[in-house]
Order: sequence, then C-alpha cells, then structure tokens
Amino acid sequence: MKKVIAREKLPELWKSLAAKGPLFLPIQEGPVVLFQPWSEGAEANLDAVNTAVSAKDVFLPREETYLQYRCSGNQLELIPVENAEPVIAFGVHPCDLKAVEMLDKVYLDQEPSDELYRQRREKTTVVGLSCREPDPFCFCNEFGINPADAPGADVMAHLKNGLVLLEARTDKGKALLDQAGDLLQDGSDEKFEAAEVKTADFGLNLEGLPENLKERFEDPVWDELYKSCLGCGVCTYVCPTCYCFDVEDFGHEGEGQRFRCWDSCMYGHFTDMAGGHNPRAGRKERVRQRFMHKLQYYPETFNEIACVGCGRCLRSCPVNLDIVQAIKALGGETVEQR
Amino acid sequence: MSSANVLMPQQATILDITEETPDIKTLRVVGKEGMPFDFMPGQCAMLSVPPVGEAIFSITSSPTCRECLEFSIKDVGNVSGALHGLQPGQQIGIRGPYGNGFPIEKMKGKDILFIGGGIGLAPLRSLIGYCFAHREEFGHIDIVYGARSPADLIRKSEVRESWAAEPDTSVYLTVDAEFPDWNGHVGFVPNYVSELAFKPEGRIALTCGPPIMIKFVLQALDKLQFSPEQVITTLEMRMKCGVGKCGRCNLGSVYVCKDGPVFSLDELNALPSEY
Amino acid sequence: MAERNVESVNKVREAVSQDLLGGRIDLLLGWEKGHYWWQSRPLFARSEADLEKLAWDSFCAVNLSRYLLEELKDHDKVGVLVKGCDARAFNRLLQDNMVRREQVILYGLPCPGMLDYNRLVEKAGGAPLEITEENGRVIIKVGSGEQEAQRDDLLLDKCKDCRYPDPAVYDQLLFSPQGEKEVTERFKTVEELEEMSAEERFGYWEKELSRCLRCYACRQACPFCSCRECFVEQENPRWQGRAYQPSENFMFHLVRAYHGTGRCIDCGECERSCPVDIPLQELNRKLIKDINELYGDYEAGLDPEQEPPLLTYRPDDPAAFSEK
Repeated sequence: MKKVIAREKLPELWKSLAAKGPLFLPIQEGPVVLFQPWSEGAEANLDAVNTAVSAKDVFLPREETYLQYRCSGNQLELIPVENAEPVIAFGVHPCDLKAVEMLDKVYLDQEPSDELYRQRREKTTVVGLSCREPDPFCFCNEFGINPADAPGADVMAHLKNGLVLLEARTDKGKALLDQAGDLLQDGSDEKFEAAEVKTADFGLNLEGLPENLKERFEDPVWDELYKSCLGCGVCTYVCPTCYCFDVEDFGHEGEGQRFRCWDSCMYGHFTDMAGGHNPRAGRKERVRQRFMHKLQYYPETFNEIACVGCGRCLRSCPVNLDIVQAIKALGGETVEQR
Repeated sequence: MSSANVLMPQQATILDITEETPDIKTLRVVGKEGMPFDFMPGQCAMLSVPPVGEAIFSITSSPTCRECLEFSIKDVGNVSGALHGLQPGQQIGIRGPYGNGFPIEKMKGKDILFIGGGIGLAPLRSLIGYCFAHREEFGHIDIVYGARSPADLIRKSEVRESWAAEPDTSVYLTVDAEFPDWNGHVGFVPNYVSELAFKPEGRIALTCGPPIMIKFVLQALDKLQFSPEQVITTLEMRMKCGVGKCGRCNLGSVYVCKDGPVFSLDELNALPSEY
Repeated sequence: MAERNVESVNKVREAVSQDLLGGRIDLLLGWEKGHYWWQSRPLFARSEADLEKLAWDSFCAVNLSRYLLEELKDHDKVGVLVKGCDARAFNRLLQDNMVRREQVILYGLPCPGMLDYNRLVEKAGGAPLEITEENGRVIIKVGSGEQEAQRDDLLLDKCKDCRYPDPAVYDQLLFSPQGEKEVTERFKTVEELEEMSAEERFGYWEKELSRCLRCYACRQACPFCSCRECFVEQENPRWQGRAYQPSENFMFHLVRAYHGTGRCIDCGECERSCPVDIPLQELNRKLIKDINELYGDYEAGLDPEQEPPLLTYRPDDPAAFSEK
C-alpha cells in the first residue's frame, strides 16, 4: 500500500494519528531534537538526521514503572502496572531501527524474554524514515546499513519534493495508513526509491575484530584509551544499542512504585557491591567494559557488533572519546589508511 | 513464551528470624501458597523491601526442605539492612530462582569437600542439605568451615551436632585466632585445608567465602594437586535483574546471574578476571 | 588559519617539549585533533611522538585542569596547557586543596575563545568543509562556496561572555595577553529570568530540566565538582533518586549549582557537555550574580588567596534570608 501526503498537511496527520495513543516523533525541543510524544503545538522536525537521544526510548523507556506497592501493618501489596498502550513511532531512521533489532536479541530472543519490552515492541507501529543527507557524524555505511531503507519498519517513509511518501509493509503498517484515512492520497504512481546516501568513511575494518579482541582484555591499549574519559554517561544514554538498566523504588514506606530506568556501565556505582567491593572500580575497567561489550561480548553471543554508526557518541561525548576512536585504537582500521 | 514480567516479585511472609552472629540473621520465608518456587542448591533470589529496593541473596535452605526458603543475610547494605530490621509476620517481595546452581550430576559418586568461610557457608549449606538428603549418591563428605571468631560462625549447632552426626561425614571447624571460649582448631581456613591434606582422587571441592579466603583456598587446593575442573566456587556481584539483561554482572559475555553464579575453576580461568 | 595555526602549535610544542623530554614534567596535558577538524580532544603526552599530535586551535574547548585530579595520582609533576578558564579551574582546585602548586607546571595560553561547530553549520547553511581565520573574521568553506562571518558570532556560548581570556596563573605565558574583556550580556538571561514570576520561572526550569538524562556529564566536566563521593551516589541516606521526576531533576541540578556558589569559575563546561543543551550556565550565573550583589564582586578562581565568600565569615556579612 502506497500513500502520499503534502508536508504542510503533516500537522493534521499528527493530530489524527495521536488521537488513538502516543505518537512519537522527532520533536524540536528548544535547541535539540528529541524523540518524544507529540502534542498539539509541538514542532515535529523530520529534517533532523538524528535525534539527540535515540529512538530506543520508545521500546526501552528511560523510566518504566511496572509495579505499585502498598504497605500497611505487616501486609505488602504488590500490584502490576500495565503499560500496554498502542504507540506509533514515526520517523525512525534506519540506524535506530537496526539498533532496536539488536535490543530484540537481548530482550526477546534470549531466555527469559522480557515481557515489558515485548509488549511495547508488539504494540508499536514503526514508521521508518529514510535519510536524505547524512550529517558528518553518521557512519552507518561502515556497518552495512543502507540509510535509504529501514527493513523491519511497518511503514517506510521518504521525504521528496514537499511530499511524504508512505509505503505500508506490514499489516500493522496498513492499519496505520488506514487510520489516517482521507488525509492520505494514493501514491501508487510515486517512485519510492530513495537516493543512495554515503556516510562518513573512517576506513574501519571490522572483519574479525570481535575474535581478535577476545585475547585483548589485558591489552595495554586500555591503559591509554580510557584516560580522557570523564566518567559521565553521555555515550551510553544517547546510544541506541546500550540497554543496561537499574531498578529502583520511588515512594515512601506506605506506598510507591517500582520502576526500571536506564543505567550506565560508565558509572562506578553501577557495579559497586553492598560490602564495598567493586569489580569495575576504575574508569579504565569501565571504558573497557563499554567498548568490549559493543565489540566483543555482544558479537560473541549475537554475531554482530553492537554499533550501528548513528554517530551520537561522536557528536555528544564532551571529550570526543567515541567508538570510532576505540575501534581504531584496537586495530579495527584498514591498514592502507593509517 | 512466558507472559509474566520477570521483574515482578511475589508476596512472601517472614516466618521467623534467627540471629546467627552480631551481623548475620537467617530469615525463613514462605510464599502466599507455601514455597514461592522450586529451586536447586546454589541458586539465588531477589528479595525486596519497598521503598528501599531489591537485592539478590543466595538461598541457604536445601530444596529438600519443602516448608520455606531460608536466607542467611549479612547486614552490609541498604536492602540487607532493611531486611535485618523486619519482624516475623512482615511481608516482603521475592522473585527467582536465578542462576545455574551447583553441578550436582558432576558431583555424583564422588567424595565431596566443602570449604566455607563466614557467610560463605550460606550457599554451600543448601547443597550440604541436599547431599545429606540424597546420601547414597555421594561418597565421603568433608566440611571445613571457619570464621574470624566463634561468634562469627553461622548455624553453629547444626554444623556441630546434626552435620557431624551424618554418616560418612567429617566436620572441621576453625577460627582465625585464639578465643577464651574456643577449644577447637585455630588458624585460617586455607591453611587448615592444607594441613588436612585432602587427596584429589575422586573428589570435588566446593568453596565459598570472602574473596581473600577463596584466593588462598584455590592456591591450597592447587598445591594438593586438585585440577581446576575439580574445584567449584560461587561468585557474588551486584545484580539488578537476575536474568542477564541489566548489564552489571558480566565476565566477558557470561552473566554471573544467569550463567553462574557457580563456576568451576577451569571455567573461571577462561573468563576475564573482573570479579 | 592553517599557517598561523602551525606557527602557534610549534611555539607551544617548543615550550613544552623541553620540559617533557628533559624530565621536568612527567606528563603534559594538552589537546590533539579528533576525527574532525572541528574537534580537539585531550592529549596525554609522555613522549616526543605524543607531542607530534599536539594541537592548539579554535576548538580546544575541553578544560584540562580537571584531569589533574586523576593524573597526579600517577605522576609527580604534570604540565598543563591552560586557557583563561582552565587556569581559573586550576586555582579552584588549589583552593580546595585538591592539587599542590608545586606539582604542576602551567603553560598559559591567552584564549581568543573557542568556536562552536553548530554555529559554523548555521552560518554556512550546511556542513562546513574547512575554515580560515583572519583578523577576527572567519571564512567558512562549504560545498557551494564560501561564507564569511565575524569570529565573535561563532563562539561557543561558554566563550561569549568570557571576561578573563588570559590565564590568571601560569609558569610561562606562551602568547601575548588578550587583555580583560568587557562583557555586557553575561547576566542578561539571568535578569530575564529574575523578571519572571516565581511560577513562570518554576515552569521554565521544570521544562528545561525535563530533558535531563541524568548522565552527569555536567558534573564530570566541572572543575568545582571535585568531591570524592558526590551526594548523588551516597547510599545512606539516599539523597538522589533515579526517577525522571521534576522533584529528582530539581534535587540534582539545584544541589549541584548551590555546591558551586562562589566556587563556579563560569567556564561553561557543564553546559557545553550537556547532550540535551540544558542552559546550566544560567543557574550558575544566577548564583554568581547573587554572590556579587551580596558580598561584592567576586570572580572564582582569579586569585587563589581570595577566599570564596561562602567559605569566610565577616560580622557584617549580609543575612539576606533572615532579613526577609
């Protein structure tokens, strides 16, 4: 099913789609673009290449309450909280959608599957959006990702000459286009091929990198690489493939909620044990954990490197200690380019 | 495909609380309808006290005990502190079981050597109880258990009286230094193991205790010619999920909560030493 | 830019290499180029080969003084390249007894202000390919041609209202001073915020802080955040919860800002580091303004002998809270 809509009509489309549940869009929030639920008056920005924080927020929210507790006397009541609203995620770029597939492997494929994630994943209709012009931080080509197409999207959207072309690829996608009804026009005559997009070429050679790293846990490269790391969590929080979380209670002794929220392996606190021992006590151990997880541990289990080249860590790390620097330091660079 | 949220605890009630040492209490816990879940020795459970939170503890009772779960808990942090402050009859949250448990198949037909220190007896006790309940499946059982002082030994009467009275079982107790009320062995656990000179043939050694004790016990067993496959230990890490997703307890691509916490020494030697 | 740049880098390299290779310092904290020409990242130089990578250009924004906290654990004597703000940061650490003066050699770099890549993009109307700088003007090359702009219009926010571009402390000053700059708009936004009603202001901050990811980049990049254990991580009592709730956002940001009262050197690293562009400098500047109004002009980090107003007591100190 192929449809089109003029870009100036989009606010009407947002309104119609948001009527049935949260509609996540790249939204201009002051100086930044964030993937957030749309509300009347919010300014969607489909031209932004990448949101400051990835679209994983839709599937693995930064904060997710899953139970309520009530204590009275000796009694403790634990009541599950359901979060299962149908959601539309409109404007997910191919890199971010590929990253969601990487999260699927951890949260769905690996036993036991995660029901909170599964419900969100199943109830979300994803509208992929092809990239027209990459920003200089984009390097998804290095991971074989085609910025012009997001396989796995329920609807694939392209921006073209003041139009948005929409192609439904799944039943969920068709239902979404049906929901929009008359706002959309027939697009069967429109050409749906997005132009080829070339992203930054850092000359990375990822072939065999995970295998090589298996023996490099104690490598001296780690003694240098971590040095500039400030120990903040920017890289992990903006990253679409980082998925670590914490569980915490919010409330008082009488009642409250339990939620899970994003956490970061870059924090010392992350692995600090109650007795005081910390297996990853220093920045070196933590930087190693982050990069080894992306480049060796995850690939060992799931057969692919846990990076999609979205470039957010290149853009956002305050000291420019990013995954490209790590890959190069670890020998994942084409020799001729050195 | 399961449809339950793995992070969702169930309600449990504290039956009673035993003060083992000045900072260790044993809690007996029962679910709404008896046992909260089935488990195997060496597995763990998440206990929660809102609004303080959740933490993981090894189950110290044997699965052959069908009345309740027991947890011997040292007061070292927020959740353990909150658990120490509870009274019998109060309710907590519980979920589990987590982890692989001890390799019982591999132990069958072998002589078994348990080496515990302080609170480290907790996970071993579950397995010791299991071995006694399936006595014919195992050979001779030796239990070496020590603590800093007599006051720091947990389950004292059980260890001294019940365990020592089991058939084909030897119990060796030790404390780190001389104490007026102590007429047993004095010395560190690893040294006692060396003194007792256990033979490796046909034997499996299982150890748990403070990291420094484990380190020297491993050295002692190595000197006694135990091969890494014969030595089994159980690790402790900070954990939040228990199912290998929250990202804290990994050694390389192995998650201690899910793939451990029990490892043989040869398995452990093949992993990054980040514990 | 290229020529002037090569010249000035050489001058810096010359100054430090004698000390590093001669063993007067064990480590030099400087900058090197990142993947892009608009990124200069920290360099930890120990050898001649390391010094080859040294950069000193319009993108050396990272405040290097903070790294002293870690590096002085492993090194007896460390050399640091310091801009105006880095030098004030050093004084700040000195005042908190986090470093000793004799452990550090400071190479002073009078700073023309650092450029903001996003501004270059805005100005050029697309991804800039390279820039040339000349007499306060910047020529930005883009695919379709060139754009010219005033350098001052391309500065990072943190550099725009910088009063003291010259290092307040150094062992060696490598270039001629820029001189104290007159700044007129430093407290402009603060004044606008002060004009708001309490409700409006609360709403403003609630919205701005709602973007906070709690990544703590602002804290980690900050030279006054040098506590060995931050209140955020303290377990007992637990001051800071992780919930993304307004109460927790305010808890973190207000306590952070208050901890900096009279100690914030206004380097703006917090705001520059924020991945979601929360205007943190406005919070800090409100407190700087209050301190100035209550206790007289005070510029943190300028003079290590001058105690921060909140760390001293004078009988005639105003008691603004009790008076109201």
